[in-house]
Amino acid sequence: MSSDYEFSDDDGDYFDDEEMIDGTQDSEAQSEDDMDMDAFGDDFKVTPKGKCKSYEIEYESLSQSAVERLMQKDVDHICGIFGVDSGIASLLLRHMKWNKERLIEKYMDNPTAMLVAAGVTMPEPVVTSTPTPIRTHSSHTTPTNTSRRPTRATSKLMALASGSKSKSPTSSPTSSFTTPKAVKTAKSEEVFVCPICFDDSPGLQTLALDCEHAFCSTCWTSYVGSKVRDEAEHCIRCMAEGCALACPDSFIRSILVPEPGAPITDAAQEEENAKTWARFQELLVRHFVGCNTSLKFCPYPSCTNTVSCPAAASKISLTTVVPTVSCGARGIGGQAMTQSQQGSQLGIGGKEHKFCFGCPIESDHRPVVCGAAKLWLKKCRDDSETANWIKSNTKECSQCQSTIEKNGGCNHMTCKKCKHEFCWVCMGPWSEHGTAWYSCNRYDEQTGVEARDAQSKSRASLERYLHYYNRWANHEQSAKLALDLYAKTEKKMEDMQITSALTWIEVQFMKKAVEEVDKCRMTLKWTYAMAYYLAKGNQKDLFEDNQRDLERAVEDLSELLESPIEAENIPTLRQKVTDKTVYVQKRNEIVLEDTANGFVEGRWRWNVTVDGFDDPTEVAI
Amino acid sequence: MDARLRRVNKEIADCKNDKTSNIKIELIDNSPFHLKGSFPGPEGTPYEGGHFEVDIVIPESYPFQPVKMKFITKVYHPNVSSASGAICLDILKDAWSPVLTLKSTLISLQSLLCSPEPNDPQDAEVAKHYTTSKSSFEDTAVYWTQIYAGGPGPKEKKGKSSSAKPDERDEVAIAGLEEAHVNQFASLGFPRSKVIDVLRRLNYRGANVAKITEDRVVEELLK
Repeated sequence: MSSDYEFSDDDGDYFDDEEMIDGTQDSEAQSEDDMDMDAFGDDFKVTPKGKCKSYEIEYESLSQSAVERLMQKDVDHICGIFGVDSGIASLLLRHMKWNKERLIEKYMDNPTAMLVAAGVTMPEPVVTSTPTPIRTHSSHTTPTNTSRRPTRATSKLMALASGSKSKSPTSSPTSSFTTPKAVKTAKSEEVFVCPICFDDSPGLQTLALDCEHAFCSTCWTSYVGSKVRDEAEHCIRCMAEGCALACPDSFIRSILVPEPGAPITDAAQEEENAKTWARFQELLVRHFVGCNTSLKFCPYPSCTNTVSCPAAASKISLTTVVPTVSCGARGIGGQAMTQSQQGSQLGIGGKEHKFCFGCPIESDHRPVVCGAAKLWLKKCRDDSETANWIKSNTKECSQCQSTIEKNGGCNHMTCKKCKHEFCWVCMGPWSEHGTAWYSCNRYDEQTGVEARDAQSKSRASLERYLHYYNRWANHEQSAKLALDLYAKTEKKMEDMQITSALTWIEVQFMKKAVEEVDKCRMTLKWTYAMAYYLAKGNQKDLFEDNQRDLERAVEDLSELLESPIEAENIPTLRQKVTDKTVYVQKRNEIVLEDTANGFVEGRWRWNVTVDGFDDPTEVAI
Repeated sequence: MDARLRRVNKEIADCKNDKTSNIKIELIDNSPFHLKGSFPGPEGTPYEGGHFEVDIVIPESYPFQPVKMKFITKVYHPNVSSASGAICLDILKDAWSPVLTLKSTLISLQSLLCSPEPNDPQDAEVAKHYTTSKSSFEDTAVYWTQIYAGGPGPKEKKGKSSSAKPDERDEVAIAGLEEAHVNQFASLGFPRSKVIDVLRRLNYRGANVAKITEDRVVEELLK
């Protein structure tokens, strides 16, 4: 079984964000390269560094906190360049979909427009009193905080934003601070009514962004909660209509996370808020991962890991590699188990989170590349059953090749499409039937033979497809039954320990063999999809030779596994199974490696247009 | 008190006190979260003189999520579904702000009637009609206003829409088609309702009449 290095939060330190973007990490990167050869039971093995096999790809699994650290690095980088605080840098990066280069370019071009577009500052600079790095004129310096008597909410914000230059002015009926604007002073003397919930109780806590659109803190909490939970929105704008100012993270945190030591007023609400805050952070990570082509989320339910695979980041790279990766976790659900806990257990519960970095169609479709695998699956979904039915129930018009079902009536057929009249029995043109209507006795006539030839030609492609499909489906079916096989094998392993002197560790060869069969069937399955699309030629013959060898070896091993266990022949069985397992492993590796090398060398030629490849040079079906 | 209930009650009360806007909000049943709004059709539009009713449902997370509104009165308008009354308006979707109220939203609906957005349609057939022939669209909208919203009916000065008889509902006018066109194909022996249906779908109006061949229409009719 493959084993991953234990990944922990420390993994993130390994990364340098430059490497992330450029994909310049090379041989240093840790990689999973012991897929098949290492002995079973070696669950704690740390994979050696170094070049992986040609059918494997270098990747790294990252936990949520590791991704957060990557984000922070980008944010810090922008902070350093623009001289803004991290809240603003984060908003800018999010607005530009984490494309640092474009952000820097655009910001240098027109910082004001950039800040407005990202919701950092107001469009008209006269309205607010927020100093931003680009507005340095005196009228916009921060009013001294001492002139205010901040409410609790204000002080919270001040504390949070104190490292930065931004501050969020708040208005409160209870505070009688002087503000830079006369209008504001007049307003703050009136009783404050929240424009959303119409609450006018005195002492109402209010919050506002730099736009000074003040609302009560309860409404802010509900608003942020609704945006984050219902809409999964990470860019939360001011509640006022048409106001495009976005809430910085510190502001959202101040709304959702109580100050340390603050009295708990409503435990249920606070728990809810804590969940919202966690969800908000998750959304930020998701956005970051979604914007970065070299990162992908583990698609398994409730798994929060991310895989970084710079080698498969571009679409063109998917023509040369099949990026099968694993996030390192196992199991389904919240209790993603580590290998050490799960290593001894067979079956689906402990399946590692393996997935294809390039496409969502199947977790491991090696050796065939994503484009061809997708084409094949689409064809199967559209065609397989229909094709079978067509084969047994229809004939093609000998003139226009339309597929025709005869659902009654006589043998005098008239094609609805081309109006060609022919005989259903001999397929020859009806005109030659002369007066012998309705009883065909002209089977050997030349025209009839020609028509049937055309018919069989068009049938041949259908036959060809069904040949590949049936084998593909057969392996898929076997893979589905793997679960039963696992259970049966476990039972056999137990029996063996009872009936012979073999110990637990000595019967593990069975488990190893079952795993190998399962894996090889996956490979075999996809080799049929590959072979269907491969253009005729020596390369295809070689491919099919390799395929045949693997298939034979797998079937032999399967048979051995199914054979009944008798105490006296256990040692021979063990020897046979072990030998065969090693052989199967080798064959599988040859298929995978040769195919992968073929993609790198551009050796394979398709008989159809596969996404990302050049048009087929020769069409041979 | 529940903040949502307080807010909705205040909004209903505000609307009652406001005599200038002509916008009314009434309860449909005992729940304050299912309401009926109404407003007069804006002047200078085909909807002038009509009285338009809107079904309002206040969602659980109101006002942080937008209110759900659809027309009860049938409206002939590119951004309103002619079948269901569903409305395509940004503030009812992603441009919603919690500061908006039922009244301000209804006013926005009223102004939507003044300024159709045929490029972002809710009802593609109506939108096509609008872009093909604005005057024919307006005649139909006036007719709909008359029969569904209690409007005054087509103005005398326009001879084109004379086919609309004020007393009985004229299916041809409802579909925004020409009587002559319908008669032309009905005389071939097709049922009248089917002819209306097909011609409406094909947008057999204005300059399009010249572009759509008779064969094409007949082909559709035979389907």
